Amino acid sequence: MRAIWFISQIALFGLIASRMINVQEVPDYFRYYVAGLSVMTLYSAAIFIGFDIYEEAEHGVFEYLLSLPVSRRQLVLGRSIGGGLRAFIYVGPLIAVSLYVVGSINPLSFLVSLFALFLFSFGVSGMSITLAVIIKSSDRFDIFMGVLDALIVRLSTAMYPLAVVQAANPLYGGVASLNPVTYAADLFRWGTGLEAIITLDNPLIPLLGIIAFFAFFTFVGVIIYDRRIEGGGWQ
Amino acid sequence: MKAVLHIVEHDFRNFFRYKWWLVGLISMNLADLFIMAIVYNHMLSGEVTQQIKSYFDFFAPGLAVTGLFASAFMIGREINMERRREVHQYMLSLPMTRLELAVGRVLSGGLRGMVYMSPLLLTCFIFLGFPTVWQFLVILAVLFLLAMGISGLSIAIAVSTSSLEKFITARGLVYYTLFFCSSVFYPISLIQKLGQEGKFPMVLVTLAEVNPLSSASDMIRSFLLGNPSFSSNMILDVLAFSVIFTLSAAFAYIKIIELK
Repeated sequence: MRAIWFISQIALFGLIASRMINVQEVPDYFRYYVAGLSVMTLYSAAIFIGFDIYEEAEHGVFEYLLSLPVSRRQLVLGRSIGGGLRAFIYVGPLIAVSLYVVGSINPLSFLVSLFALFLFSFGVSGMSITLAVIIKSSDRFDIFMGVLDALIVRLSTAMYPLAVVQAANPLYGGVASLNPVTYAADLFRWGTGLEAIITLDNPLIPLLGIIAFFAFFTFVGVIIYDRRIEGGGWQ
Repeated sequence: MKAVLHIVEHDFRNFFRYKWWLVGLISMNLADLFIMAIVYNHMLSGEVTQQIKSYFDFFAPGLAVTGLFASAFMIGREINMERRREVHQYMLSLPMTRLELAVGRVLSGGLRGMVYMSPLLLTCFIFLGFPTVWQFLVILAVLFLLAMGISGLSIAIAVSTSSLEKFITARGLVYYTLFFCSSVFYPISLIQKLGQEGKFPMVLVTLAEVNPLSSASDMIRSFLLGNPSFSSNMILDVLAFSVIFTLSAAFAYIKIIELK
C-alpha cells in the first residue's frame, strides 16, 4: 500500500503538481517533492513501532519482554533502534527510487544525510514508543498519531520550502523551522545535491537538530518507558 | 425496507466504533486545507493563479469529495473482514432477502460517506460562500450518488479479493489512481496539457476527464466559484458511475458471497 502510495505520489501527484508551481519560488518542484516524499515515508514507517507495542500489550507479549534478562534501558534502546532500522530497510527501496528520480549525488554529503536519516528514523521510533507508553490507550494513541502526522508533515519543508511556509504564515514558518521532519528533508536534499533549490545556509544546524531529536526521544524515552511500564494498566 | 434499515443501523454502529480514527482523518483533511492549501497558495505559477485565483478556494470542494471517497470506501474493508472471518455466513442467515442485504450494505456505505463529508462540506461553504437552495440540493444529490457508487466499488473489490493484503493493494491502486488522476488537487487543464506534450499517458488523461471525483469537485466549484462553468455532463458522469457500481456491487455481493 505504502509503495503504491509512494509511486503514485511521484508519477501522478508530483508530476502534475510541479506544473502548478512558480519556478521562481521552487525551480524544480518535481525533484524537490520527490526528495521530501522519502522523508515523509520514512517518518510514517518509523511510527509503526508504537502500534506494535499495543499489539504486544494486547497479546501479553509485553510481560514476556519485561521478564527477559535485559535492563529496561537496553529494551527501549533496542526497540527504538530496531524500529528505526526496520523502517529504514522497509523504505530503502523507495529511497533508491527517489534517488534515481532526483539524480545527482555528492557522495560525502550523501553519506552525512544518510546518517542523519538513520538518526531521524531512530528518533521517530523512540518518539512513537515514548508516546505509546505515556498514552497507554490504543484509541487515543491512534488519534494522537493521526493528528501529529497531519501537523508534523504539513508544517515542515517536506512539501514546500521554508521561505514559502514563512511567507504563507509566520506561525507555520516558526513551527516548520523547529521541526525534525524539516531537518531531515533539508539534509536529504542537501545530500542529494538539491541544495540549489533549498535555502540551507549551514547543514550543521539541521544535523544538530536531528541529533538533539534522536537524543531526546531515545534517552528521555528510556526514563519514561522505565517509569510507565511497571504495574500494567494497559487498556 | 425494514430489513434494509436494520443493515444500515448495523453498519452505522460499526462506523462509529472507529470514531478516533475518523477524528484523526478529519484532522488530516483540515490540516490539508488550512496548512497545505494556504502554503501552496504562495507557490502557484502566474498561469494557474489566473485560472483558479486561490488554491485554498480551489482545493476546499476537492477536499470534501476526497473525504466522501475515503469514508464511503470504508465499508469494503468491513465486508472483506467479514468474509475472511466468515461472518458473512451469519449475515446470509438473517431473515432478509439477499437483495435487501446487498442494498442495505451499499446504502449504508454511501450514507456513512455523506455523514463524514458533511463537516468538510460545511467548512467549504463557510469559506467559499453558500450556494442557493437548488444548488445545495443538487450538490447533495450528486454527492449521495457518488457516495453510493464509491461504496459499491469498494464492496465489489472486497468480495472479489480473498485476503486483506489483496484488498489493500487493490484499494491503494483505485484510491490513488482516482485521487491523483482527477481535478481534486489541480485543474484538469494541467493534466490535459501534460497529455498533449506526451508526458502523461492519454488513457490517464481520459480517466481524469471522466473521473466522477473530477465531475463532483468541478460541479461544486462551478456553483460556489463560477469556474469551471457548469455542465450537465458533470451530473451524468457521476450518475453513470453510481449506477454501474451500485448494480455491480449488489450483483457481486449476492453472487460471490454465496459461493464462499
